[in-house]
Amino acid sequence: MDSLNQIAAVVWATLVVLLAPLFAFILSAALGKRMRSGWLATVAMVISLIAAIFVFSQIWNNEPIHQQIQWFQIGNHPFAVGLILNNLSVVLLVLVCAIALPVFIYSRVYMKGDPGIHRYWMYLSLFCFAMLGLVVADGLLLLYMCWELVGFASYLLIGFWFTKEAAIKANKKAFLINRIGDLGFLIGIAILYTQFQTLDIITLFGEQGLVKQAPPTVLLTWAGIAFFLGAMAKSAQFPFHVWLPDAMEGPTSVSSLIHAATMVAAGVFMLVRISPLFDAQVLFFIAGIGAFTAFMAATIAVTQQDLKKILAFSTISQLGFMMVAIGLGQYGVAIFHLVTHAFFKCLLFLSAGAVIHEMSHLKVQHRLNMDPQDIRNMGGLRKFMPWTFRLTAVAALALAGLPLTAGYLSKDAILIYAFEWSEWQSGVWKIIPISLLISSALTAFYIARLVFKVFFGKFRLNRTFRKQFHLHEAPKGMRYPMVFLAIGSLYFLYSYNPLVFEDAWLLRGLATTTSLQRVNIYHTVIPAAVNGLSIIFIYVAWRWYGRRKYPIRSLSGPWYRFSEAQWYGHHVYGTIVKGTLGLAKILYAFDRKVVDGFVNSMGGLISALGNIARWLDCYIVDALINGLGNLSFKIGGILRGPRKGKVQYYMLSMFLVLLVVLLIGLQFF
Amino acid sequence: MSWLSILIFLPLLAAIMVLLLPASQRALYKYIAAAACLVQLVLSLYLYIGFNDTLPGVNTIEGYQFVEQVPWIRLHLGSLGSLEVDYFIGVDGFSILLLLLTALVMLLAVIASWKMEQRLKGFFSLLLLLNTAVMGVFVALDFFLFYVFYEVMLLPLYFLIGIWGGPRREYAAIKFFLYTLFGSVFMLLVMVGLYFSVINPLTGNHTFNLLCMMNPANYVPGAVFSPSGHYEWFGLSARLLGFIVLFVAFAIKVPVVPLHTWLPDAHVEAPTPVSIILAGILLKVGGYGIIRICYSIFPDIAITSAWWLGLIGVVSILYGAFNALAQQDLKRLVAYSSVSHMGFVLLGIASLTPEGLSGAVFQMISHGFLSAMLFFLVGVLYDRVHDRMIYNFRGLAMLMPKYTAFVAIAFFASLGLPGFSAFIAEAFTIIGAFNSQGVNGLIPRWMAICGSLGILLSAAYFLWTLQRMFFGHTRLKGGEQWQVQLTDLNLRETIALAPMVLLALLFGLMPSLTFDKINASVLNLIEWVNNVHQ
Repeated sequence: MDSLNQIAAVVWATLVVLLAPLFAFILSAALGKRMRSGWLATVAMVISLIAAIFVFSQIWNNEPIHQQIQWFQIGNHPFAVGLILNNLSVVLLVLVCAIALPVFIYSRVYMKGDPGIHRYWMYLSLFCFAMLGLVVADGLLLLYMCWELVGFASYLLIGFWFTKEAAIKANKKAFLINRIGDLGFLIGIAILYTQFQTLDIITLFGEQGLVKQAPPTVLLTWAGIAFFLGAMAKSAQFPFHVWLPDAMEGPTSVSSLIHAATMVAAGVFMLVRISPLFDAQVLFFIAGIGAFTAFMAATIAVTQQDLKKILAFSTISQLGFMMVAIGLGQYGVAIFHLVTHAFFKCLLFLSAGAVIHEMSHLKVQHRLNMDPQDIRNMGGLRKFMPWTFRLTAVAALALAGLPLTAGYLSKDAILIYAFEWSEWQSGVWKIIPISLLISSALTAFYIARLVFKVFFGKFRLNRTFRKQFHLHEAPKGMRYPMVFLAIGSLYFLYSYNPLVFEDAWLLRGLATTTSLQRVNIYHTVIPAAVNGLSIIFIYVAWRWYGRRKYPIRSLSGPWYRFSEAQWYGHHVYGTIVKGTLGLAKILYAFDRKVVDGFVNSMGGLISALGNIARWLDCYIVDALINGLGNLSFKIGGILRGPRKGKVQYYMLSMFLVLLVVLLIGLQFF
Repeated sequence: MSWLSILIFLPLLAAIMVLLLPASQRALYKYIAAAACLVQLVLSLYLYIGFNDTLPGVNTIEGYQFVEQVPWIRLHLGSLGSLEVDYFIGVDGFSILLLLLTALVMLLAVIASWKMEQRLKGFFSLLLLLNTAVMGVFVALDFFLFYVFYEVMLLPLYFLIGIWGGPRREYAAIKFFLYTLFGSVFMLLVMVGLYFSVINPLTGNHTFNLLCMMNPANYVPGAVFSPSGHYEWFGLSARLLGFIVLFVAFAIKVPVVPLHTWLPDAHVEAPTPVSIILAGILLKVGGYGIIRICYSIFPDIAITSAWWLGLIGVVSILYGAFNALAQQDLKRLVAYSSVSHMGFVLLGIASLTPEGLSGAVFQMISHGFLSAMLFFLVGVLYDRVHDRMIYNFRGLAMLMPKYTAFVAIAFFASLGLPGFSAFIAEAFTIIGAFNSQGVNGLIPRWMAICGSLGILLSAAYFLWTLQRMFFGHTRLKGGEQWQVQLTDLNLRETIALAPMVLLALLFGLMPSLTFDKINASVLNLIEWVNNVHQ
């Protein structure tokens, strides 16, 4: 009885987590411009966080809870709506709230005075609701609904400044590319439904799930690929990564949320949720795409000049790392990296926001003609914004994966597992751990470049405009949330031991499905190698950008341009879009000229036939009748001519005719 | 007189009232029409609530509800027996929701014609006559009666488009009329053929009773459409030919590619209320006819030609979507999107799985109020500036925030955003179509995959339109003057639109509102078709 009560309490608490932001959304939508201050959304998030922590404390390493009620029935197949609360969902539940709350608090200062602010709070609440729902959904249909809703909310937020041309193109792009992934998701659902006649996650993927018992078939492999397609779009994997850098057009606080816990995390989470589905081929595919994306995005991030773009490509690259972890079968590690990454990436964006905030302020105040996001305009900011600098440095170190940070634990885990895994594969697959190593080194380089260019040296605008500008530290309302995130970027929240990831409690709580042979040597050599490389690259960045001893004169080499143009991804998409529109135009011309042309010519033909018939009617048929009429009239005239009006003659002629008829009739009998 | 009869003939009564009232009272017409529609709505809600979910409908009279059967025409024809036409109406899962939808859309159409000024008497009486005809089509269970209602539908629409339409109204009206007539004339032939093939076991006479036509035991051995007979015309079996003829008649209504070209013209020229009725209800007559008549009477042919029906559905989805992408006239865009969305109905029906068929019926309902809403919204713009070319508008969101919000909701609901009805409809149509290969082998999986591309394309054309017309800095072709004319939604328009949004949400979040009503009928139809086939 006691445990029943406890379950009920936990389920209710979970509902509170979900419904608080939903309520905030609905109320904001109803009240419109009266909800400008955002206190409602923030309070709702606080309630969510508290309830989420309670749920976490009850569920973590305890019996999972699965509660559902029937939703509807098609034919004889019932569909349920319900919650799954296990270690995986409660971690994400807390993470989403814990990342969202600082962003909400930060936004209260950051977005102050925006004319559309009431919409901002409304969309943000919807965004969080959708993501929280996705995390606890117990059926694939429900998961898919939340999944699309996340995409929809991000559409609204990316295009928040809807008069800005770039923003409204970016949000359309984000939604459409996510739609491509959604089709994959939908086809995956259709395949599973065909095979198992249910969409319930526990029934399908649980311990004794149908998927585990089913014999492997090609169809299930395709289902795995289809679901991964969905995750590729959502988590911005090559070739569907192009929407994420463009999504920077939204407010920076929104970017911080999209990149940390709400949008891109959904893909990784979904793959982990349905992980029993993947067979070896699919896992290879996932690992391959992940490693390639990690490498590609890192090479692009190295040359970008836009502060937010660098961070965007950094996110894509880190998501690639997580995908590799999934490809290795190390689902727990993927989630571990997702969690640590959420903290330091959110922090990086909020710091970037603080910097951009100041730069834009400067731009407006002094009416400068410059791009407030271009890192070539910055430099030496650590003197003006010491706290922002320190916090950024913590996040950057975590991203580079240096010891004592959370990033060290999770990233090294991925690298070590990648090397161990490649021991058991054919030699070609060594390329995955090696490419990860390179990407990791590039990561250290680009983030060091960013920090040195922004915070070290001299403020470049002073020289450009020959003035002494003065910038301010971020206000407290923005700084405190950042401090909170910085704490989450350090090691001690996850493990008492700063150097060995296997001691992390988070990792232990999450199932790792494939246990690899532990190769001890890797556990010391690889962290050393990774960090050695990172430090070398950071030093190089320091010399180039910190000390400004840049060795390369011109920035026009083909490789540089290739990287700066983001591997020409946009051009490829541009061609596809043009092709589609061209096809649409051709088909419309076909519709008008051929299909409708046929109909019209049929109409023309029939009306021509009608004209011919009318002519025949008028000049042949009618003429004939009229002619006959005239003829008989004339004959009548001739006959009656001389005997007008004499009854006797009529009688006589009638008698004669009758006689003739009778005679002819008699002939026949 | 049953409730159903009242539902059908109430608007006719109202139409007569409108005709009898002198022109000096013409301000009253719209109130009479609105009152009739409102009563109908309440009545259809009452029927919906009183509907028994467990009765299976389709092929037995016991399965139908609210049945009324009275002899209508009895002619003794000597040796030919006696002509038997019944006033036979009833409702099952396939029709109950369409009644509700019709009542709702009709009311919306009356609200949309509130500002109408020309020839009010004719307009409202025709609108009400149309209402009667549509209601009749959805409940008739006698083929003759069905045909009468079906043809009566045509007449008011012809005049409504031809008199109150846009600049090319005569072309559009005659095109619409001929297209539909082309379908129904041949339908008449098949109907007569069926009449002479079927004997009502109760009376021993030939009959137009649809339920009698469904049972193969009622066919005269050796008759034209007898399943055991082997009549052939042009190398095609008579039953196949009969199926094709009926299918073409309904396919024109749906409409499917390539029989769709009347639709964009009719929509573009029709006044807003007529567009609403066209898209909201009349297209559903096609889907309903395919289920009620083609599939129920010719189940054997339905099975053998499923592949082709699926293909036509997929082609309609993709072709309509691509055409919508190429449009520059907002109303034409919505018209082509209708072609695309109605393709899902055909795909779902062809799959003959519970998921697919339920998805198809759901799509009819969902598209009913979503397309009505879309045309209403286009009408709002057109009312204000008499223009609806996409490139003549830009940044409307600054000028008309409320209107933009409604447009965005309607667009997202139509492109299948979860939470709205179209999502459930399209997702289950795709799932059902995909499932078909494993369950009954009727349509291959690639059709489902191609169909899902339609979902992607619909997002493309709707979002692109949003971007072009509503976002960005305000820039209008009509300049200052338009700025003044483009006022935000007024109270009447909001009152008309809000229920539509709520309904789309309600059906999207609680699909059981639909599925519970149709489940028994859907399962019965599938079982019925499969049994007859074996």
